Amino acid sequence: MEQKFTGFKCKSCGKVMYPKHDRCLDCKGTEFEEVELGKEATLLTYTKLYALPEGIEMPPLVLGIVKFPGGARAMGQLTTDDPKIGMKLRPVWGKLRKMKDREIFGFKFEPVK
Amino acid sequence: MRDVAIIGCGMTKFGRLDGKDLMDLLAEASLRAIDDAGAGERDFDSVYVGNMMAGELAHQTAIASALVDRINLIPAGAERVENGPASGASAVKNGFLAVASGASDLVLVAGGEKMTAVDTDIIGDLVSTMTHPTAEYVHGVTLPAMAALLTRLYMERYGVTERHLAMVAVKNHANALKNPYAHLQRECTIEGAMSSIMIADPLRLYYACPISDGAAAVILCSLEKAKEFTDKPVRIAGFGHASDVQTLQEREDPAVLKSVQLASQQAFKMAKLEPKDIGVVETHDAFEILEIVQSEDAGFFEKGKGHLAVEKGVTALDGRLPINPSGGLKAKGHPVGATGVAQIVELVWQLRGEAGERQVKNPKRGFACNFGGFGNNTVIHILERAW
Repeated sequence: MEQKFTGFKCKSCGKVMYPKHDRCLDCKGTEFEEVELGKEATLLTYTKLYALPEGIEMPPLVLGIVKFPGGARAMGQLTTDDPKIGMKLRPVWGKLRKMKDREIFGFKFEPVK
Repeated sequence: MRDVAIIGCGMTKFGRLDGKDLMDLLAEASLRAIDDAGAGERDFDSVYVGNMMAGELAHQTAIASALVDRINLIPAGAERVENGPASGASAVKNGFLAVASGASDLVLVAGGEKMTAVDTDIIGDLVSTMTHPTAEYVHGVTLPAMAALLTRLYMERYGVTERHLAMVAVKNHANALKNPYAHLQRECTIEGAMSSIMIADPLRLYYACPISDGAAAVILCSLEKAKEFTDKPVRIAGFGHASDVQTLQEREDPAVLKSVQLASQQAFKMAKLEPKDIGVVETHDAFEILEIVQSEDAGFFEKGKGHLAVEKGVTALDGRLPINPSGGLKAKGHPVGATGVAQIVELVWQLRGEAGERQVKNPKRGFACNFGGFGNNTVIHILERAW
């Protein structure tokens, strides 16, 4: 099954948000529809983390903020050790980390070849 | 609203304070502040205790009740104030409002944290729980990671270099060497900072604060009654408090600390002052990039030019606008719940002319910026001499 990276579109004003808020950040509207944010996003900034949180095995953990074409942004792990600002990435489903022996899954971002 | 004065202050040394627990630290700082105010015989109406993690770190809750018992401020109404790393400034704000409103006449505000009681990994994780649970935390986002993401944006956009971060660290270490209360009592060189280990590229260890224990306290009363206690009352001229969206990526511009802008504007408006009226500043430099960004978003320097002020020595102890004469969070230390109160204590000492070797030349007004998250919750205070 294909997983889509989704955000929440306000039914009153059309603002797309990620993560979810119970009231729209622009108009305070309370109804939303889930929408796909996009198949591709652009890298705005990144870090290579060497002081690792629990459940991440190998340094560095590469984290970045990406921007989708509609303007929504997301924070996530990058699958490359060689990130470049402006590079194109796509969301891919995978294991994020282990927390108290539980495996956590979510979207990461992988370079578009 | 009544004018509110700070009539006494005190703090513990910051650092790894083996053999002293959270209550020891809070009691020590509070008693020093009470002594400083000469208020030992007085009855207090209210007590506010800034603290972020006593339940998790000290396995103790309801610490305000424990403090009034320990130092006998009974029957003062006592409560703990939690606002992340701005718990201290939020406690001061609550104390200010209690006196300003007329509800309380004599108030103790203390802030403290005992952070070295547990392993560094546990502290790192607890602090990371301030981030968004599903959009940040589970992905492995830590506070150093957020600071690194912001630093890289600043480097790309404004030409900030690693050397600028090192310059802030060198300045704050030099100031801390003149502060007997500071945690890190050692000189730091540009080369030393730039060769310290990488923790979150482009952030090295020396561009981040240490993990410290400590407590600080201030005594508040109405300005009218302040003369009964001291010849040098310090007036709280204004405060500001604002929030922003939690995740870094969802900010209108992730390189702008909007809560700092708004809270600063509120504080200046209330005090009827402008940034040029301020003579000494304490910022929340948990990471050195934050000193630069806060100095801009608070209105002291144009956006994107804060690092140039550091370069020119403007923010040095003998510069036009000394920032973090105490050594800042970077070198004085950052026992989270204590920090916001300790910033106020430093400003009071500076305004009274009691800061010893690190005394800024004759400041009339001071400005403090305390963060309750990563830029998404900011408390500002402006203090001025009232004599």
